[in-house]
Amino acid sequence: MRVKSILRVALPSVLALSAAALLSDRGLEAADHFDAPARVGSDTNTNGFDVAADIADLYAFYDDANVYVTIGFGGPANISLPGVYDPDMLYMINISNAGERTDTEIPIEIRFGRDGVNPGIQVRNLPGGTISGPVETNITASNGIMVRAGLFDDPFFFDPQGLRDTRATGTLSFNNKRDRFAMLNTTFVSIAIPRSLVIRNQPLDIWASSARIRS
Amino acid sequence: MRTSLRHMSTSALLAAAVSLAGCGSESTPAPAPPPPATPTPNPPPVPPVATAFDVTPCLNQLVVPGRTLANLVVPDVLNLDVTKPSAFPNGRQYLDPVIDVTLAVIFLDLSKHSATTFSTIPLGPNGVDQPLPNTFPFLAPPLGNPPTSGGAGSNFTFRSDPASAYVRVDRAGMPGVATALVTGNANKNEYNDDNPMIDAGGKWVPELVASLTFLTNVLVDDLTRLRLTPCARPL
Repeated sequence: MRVKSILRVALPSVLALSAAALLSDRGLEAADHFDAPARVGSDTNTNGFDVAADIADLYAFYDDANVYVTIGFGGPANISLPGVYDPDMLYMINISNAGERTDTEIPIEIRFGRDGVNPGIQVRNLPGGTISGPVETNITASNGIMVRAGLFDDPFFFDPQGLRDTRATGTLSFNNKRDRFAMLNTTFVSIAIPRSLVIRNQPLDIWASSARIRS
Repeated sequence: MRTSLRHMSTSALLAAAVSLAGCGSESTPAPAPPPPATPTPNPPPVPPVATAFDVTPCLNQLVVPGRTLANLVVPDVLNLDVTKPSAFPNGRQYLDPVIDVTLAVIFLDLSKHSATTFSTIPLGPNGVDQPLPNTFPFLAPPLGNPPTSGGAGSNFTFRSDPASAYVRVDRAGMPGVATALVTGNANKNEYNDDNPMIDAGGKWVPELVASLTFLTNVLVDDLTRLRLTPCARPL
């Protein structure tokens, strides 16, 4: 209800904006890849940008046993490159399962560390506490939560060139044979949480963030 | 069929799909003989085509039971109801065609067209390099031979800094919509620094509406030419 009223109030002033003004400086992103481009790089250039901080996609689904939340970042990357396990990054998956949709009851924090040259993952604020262990293998807690960090074939598909052309020409210009994300890998962290540990009496609202240690 | 489709334009693909959708399952009748030639009358005047649209009906249309488009994009979160089927926009699975579904729900009148109108063509690419496994984490192994640690190590050292010691770079919730509808580097940076509570206060609604209005104004002629009914209404 609140949103509807805001939309109705905002509309007249919005429509006064010129199309020319709206044409400028439109980024070329996908689900969340390459956003914000001034920070993490664009579809066509990531050199010198904070690729590790670029959240690629957020997924959330369930089965009879678990709720699964997955965050991808640092991709899509060439298939010769290793996974992105940056110790200076903090990734968060924020889950609201009670009260307001916008508050966070489960603020999951994800960090990477090292044992010599070997990367490890630490996940804090999970139901039951903290889980840590090596990447590229499943880590299972006694309460049934599972964590996996690793490099995987990026399952996302999209044609950002089509979006670029559509915006430039005003004509739908997607090509369903042109997938910018094909044959590339991305680093993911996936978490399986037993339903009883996360489901309350309302739907889940989930969002993710990335942040870099203050220099 | 796939080979010929590969080289068809988006418009041609859409036209073919819409045409096929209206064919039904009956067998194709023999072509009728051409009608006798008649004098060509003067064509009627072409009514002016609207170029400015009100997207409020799009924002207020139901995408799934009980949830409008506005509800789905503000606040910018992924909503998952375990009492309903697990498929976008109820959560998001790895293979959900989120872009094509999003394009449909922001542009098409969902009382006349399905949210899968574009994804059944598909309008954009729709496929993965290799099948996904049916065990956790349900993702396919990396392509090529990238360096891996193979799960080695046991005595890891992690930063102990609190979350407040980090500077936000990116945020993500509902796929595609906010990233496509928030424009300009300054806006994008600010949007990524915000959170769903700020979203719910309406801060980004004018920007989202402006971008949707712009895109609708330039694309509605394509949609109507393809006999699709836009959700937006002429001003």
